[in-house]
Amino acid sequence: MLARPNISEKPARFDWVLLCALLGLMVLGVLFIHSARYATESGAGVPWFKQLHFRQAVFYALGLGAAAAVCVVPYQTLARWSYVFYWASILLLVLVLIPHIGKAAYGARRWIDLGIFQLQPSEIAKIAFILALGNFLARPLDELKLTGNFWKALAMLGLPFALILVEPDLGSALVLIPTGFVMMYVAGIPAKYLRRFLSGSAIIVALILVDVLFAPPGWQLKLQDYQRRRLLVYFGLDHKYFAPPNATAAELQKARIQERNDSYNVEQALISVGSGGLTGKGWRQGTQNVLGYLPRAVAHNDFIFSVLAEESGFVGSVVVLSLYAVVLFAGIRIAGQARDRLGKMMAAGVVALLFSHMFINIGMNIRLMPVTGVPLPLLSYGGTSVICTLVAAGLLQNIYLHRRSY
Amino acid sequence: MLVFDQLKKQDSQLRLVAMVLAAGFCVLLAGLWYVQVFSSKKFADSLEDQAVRSVRIPAVRGKVLDRNGQALAENRPTYNVELYLAELGKHFHAEYLRIRPATVRTRAEREQLEWAARYNVVSNITAQVSDWLQQPQVIDQKKFQRHYNEVRALPISILQNLNASQVARFAERPGVFPGLDLEIQPLRVYPHGSLAAHVLGSLTRDESSQEEEDAFYHYRLPDWKGVTGMEGVFDGQLRGAAGTKSMTVNRLGYRQQETMLRTPEPGDNLVLTLDLKLQRAVEAALVSSMFGVQTRGAAVVMDVQTGDVLAMASAPTFEPIEFMGRISTEHWTNILNHPVQKPMLNRAAQENYHPGSILKMLTALAALEMEKLDPKEIFNVEADPERPGKGCIHVGNRKIKDTVANGPYNFKKALMHSSNSYFIHQGLKPGVLQKMIMLGEKFHLGERTGILPRQETAGEFPDQTDLVRRWQPGDTANLCIGQGKVSVSPLQIAVMTSAIANGGKVFWPRLVLRLEPSDPQFGEKVSEFPPRVRDDLGVKPENLRLIHEAMLAEVEEAGGTGSGAIIKGLKIGGKTGTAEIEHGGKIVDKTTWFASFAPVDRPKWAVVVMVESGASGGKTCAPIARQIYEALLKRERDAGQKNSTLASLN
Repeated sequence: MLARPNISEKPARFDWVLLCALLGLMVLGVLFIHSARYATESGAGVPWFKQLHFRQAVFYALGLGAAAAVCVVPYQTLARWSYVFYWASILLLVLVLIPHIGKAAYGARRWIDLGIFQLQPSEIAKIAFILALGNFLARPLDELKLTGNFWKALAMLGLPFALILVEPDLGSALVLIPTGFVMMYVAGIPAKYLRRFLSGSAIIVALILVDVLFAPPGWQLKLQDYQRRRLLVYFGLDHKYFAPPNATAAELQKARIQERNDSYNVEQALISVGSGGLTGKGWRQGTQNVLGYLPRAVAHNDFIFSVLAEESGFVGSVVVLSLYAVVLFAGIRIAGQARDRLGKMMAAGVVALLFSHMFINIGMNIRLMPVTGVPLPLLSYGGTSVICTLVAAGLLQNIYLHRRSY
Repeated sequence: MLVFDQLKKQDSQLRLVAMVLAAGFCVLLAGLWYVQVFSSKKFADSLEDQAVRSVRIPAVRGKVLDRNGQALAENRPTYNVELYLAELGKHFHAEYLRIRPATVRTRAEREQLEWAARYNVVSNITAQVSDWLQQPQVIDQKKFQRHYNEVRALPISILQNLNASQVARFAERPGVFPGLDLEIQPLRVYPHGSLAAHVLGSLTRDESSQEEEDAFYHYRLPDWKGVTGMEGVFDGQLRGAAGTKSMTVNRLGYRQQETMLRTPEPGDNLVLTLDLKLQRAVEAALVSSMFGVQTRGAAVVMDVQTGDVLAMASAPTFEPIEFMGRISTEHWTNILNHPVQKPMLNRAAQENYHPGSILKMLTALAALEMEKLDPKEIFNVEADPERPGKGCIHVGNRKIKDTVANGPYNFKKALMHSSNSYFIHQGLKPGVLQKMIMLGEKFHLGERTGILPRQETAGEFPDQTDLVRRWQPGDTANLCIGQGKVSVSPLQIAVMTSAIANGGKVFWPRLVLRLEPSDPQFGEKVSEFPPRVRDDLGVKPENLRLIHEAMLAEVEEAGGTGSGAIIKGLKIGGKTGTAEIEHGGKIVDKTTWFASFAPVDRPKWAVVVMVESGASGGKTCAPIARQIYEALLKRERDAGQKNSTLASLN
């Protein structure tokens, strides 16, 4: 196909396949957020415009608008402003840590309350990071061989990483690593630096884990206790080893109950997914979700995939995976067709970001990954996440639209 | 692959990224396949556990029947109106919308409104139904909330125990009230009220599982457990095996469908040796004493040839049905747990009394067996200098009063007038005491009869070791007249009297004839409880005959203490007794007895009557025994009539 490029043919103006896959995911998102919230909302008589699936649809519309806006300006122009976006997002990340600005929920400061809408700066930071790093790495290949530039690139990753980590939001911080790595790899940074980067991040992740799990309290990263316990559950570690050495029988008993409670979400998510079977129980018929075994607080966001998998079965899971595959491989194709290295890197970065989110989220639903608060792109309820995902998709379209604009 | 082809050949980085992506998708796909297809059965099962509620259904309790198959305890259906909350969802919502103010701000406010709406709907329906059935009833708000939170899938019972006309009225208007249903539940009833209450015992509410039964149930329908009497002893057999119903709960926690996993198996029927009519007569006779309903006493009627307990009564009595409901503290302290009346106490087996003169039967038998007593021999009762006209006996340096006049006594005269001096004189003869102890062992005095485990006392009777330790002639004298270190229950005396009447066979008293399946179609085997001989006295028949004659004389001859029992046409052998209860050297109370059997020449029945604080055995107990014998005679006439009717039919 590409072997015989037909210059005379007018290039496709728009990647319809990508858009259709995104629309498919959005339809599923509205349907299953409705299903996840059905028991809570219909019983309570919440008006339709306040129900979460409707709000999610509004977010989709806003996100699509934002994506369209992103498409208007060529990505090269955007890249020129990327450092502004980057530092603005860093500013937001700092602001969110300040007690009266950042809103604490479940022991973490992740949101800035804007009244009608709660902004999640870490989501914005992810997009800004892709733009900025793309812009930085777009310099000539020879310059990338300089050690100084490699360290600068690392610093660009490290700053938001650290700020997100102290929120704390371990999951969102960690997705920056594969994103940054893929961008550097695609940019053509020499293999020795990449190896260092890989081993370095492996050490950091390992250190974080060891610190969280085993370090004495004074030395621990300021993770919330629940995050620590989630990791304990994932690694199958018995809580009682972490009880104080002089713990009484009652305290040990408490630790055991705590362990059971901690593993509860994961267990129930797994039961939901597994009981879906091949074809599922039908929309709004998932007993796990409706009976509240799947905790109501997370069913519509972090664990939306469990609801979907229970109600639509393996078939539904495969449909979701296929839609993501279409989006992601379209992204890779766009990266391949991009007219310059900037476009290629940015596309690859978006693909890596979305893939990491998807892999971590679905993985935690089937116990492949530890439970972290990483949303499933477009399906999980959440305004910032939806809008940022659509902006990222808009970026892909942007790169595609401007692939031939010589 | 399409994507790979489209990538430029030299673009190895993107190819690698694409491959990593593909690998990631494969991992997720494999994981999902493993969870959702390969091991989905396992997860479906654990889901099943969460969506299914098990309900324990108690079995219908077996009946307790008398020896003729008449029910002493049975079950009757009770009709309750139950309300299924699942069908009220729409009404709850409508009511919520109706009572909702223009603005509902907080979540707590909304929840409160929701509760109010639910409660309004349920109490409205309750009010309408109770109005319709003319049985005022109010649903408690707390109780409703608890029910809604905990056992939403089960119906809530709003009206209990409807009578026939209410049932008919309810059935007239099906479907008018939403979610209502008529439920039938068996309930224990005692058709004759307090009749044989001490034998039957009582039930209490039970929420536990029996052995070999699932220990865990989500819900339990009300069940009962026997605690005392026959209900308690045979609880396991009467209760049957509980069934299990599994209820699928829909996504709102309401009942969707039910399946019976195990049908409850009804309990066995228990057939007692009691005779209902006789029991009623005995209880009536007991309270005909001078104390009326305040009588504290007991009576036992035993078949001397089998050891069957034909009637066993204790007064005052209680209503077993009272224990199935709530008993007020007032009722409990003032009546059921009254320190003197003690209606819960089975005086026939659960309490000990000094036997007094009725133990002279044993003294006489021992002396006769040792050939120390010649019935013809005359013993002269010396006069009591302090009480002119009365006799006494000196044992050691102690003087024991006699109730009879001084003068000459032979065996028969001594027994029928119940002379203390005479029998103390006989008992002090060498070897008689040892024989008495031996016979006491054979009669199993001081041991439980095993009739009602845990509700029986052993009583007290000296044994060989007591004789070694500080035994004085005064102790022997006391034992000879049933005072001192000896106490018995009326049931033990009934066993003893039966043995004397039947020629020496000491029975285990029998209260249960058999356990039979409640419905012959279950075809289970009937377990019979045949009569069991516990011991044989091994005494000479002519000695027993001497005692029989003396006992007959006590009732029938002029001057006999038991003349109050006399009935024309029935030869009754009896022995009265008046035991004195001393406290601090003074006589504070009396236990009066009448132990008897009849007919003397062909013994059938033993009748033992005991009344606390009576005037004397002859005055208080013998007339009660007479009424009992009259009932026994009537019973025999009825049986004879029935037989002759049957014969004429054949």
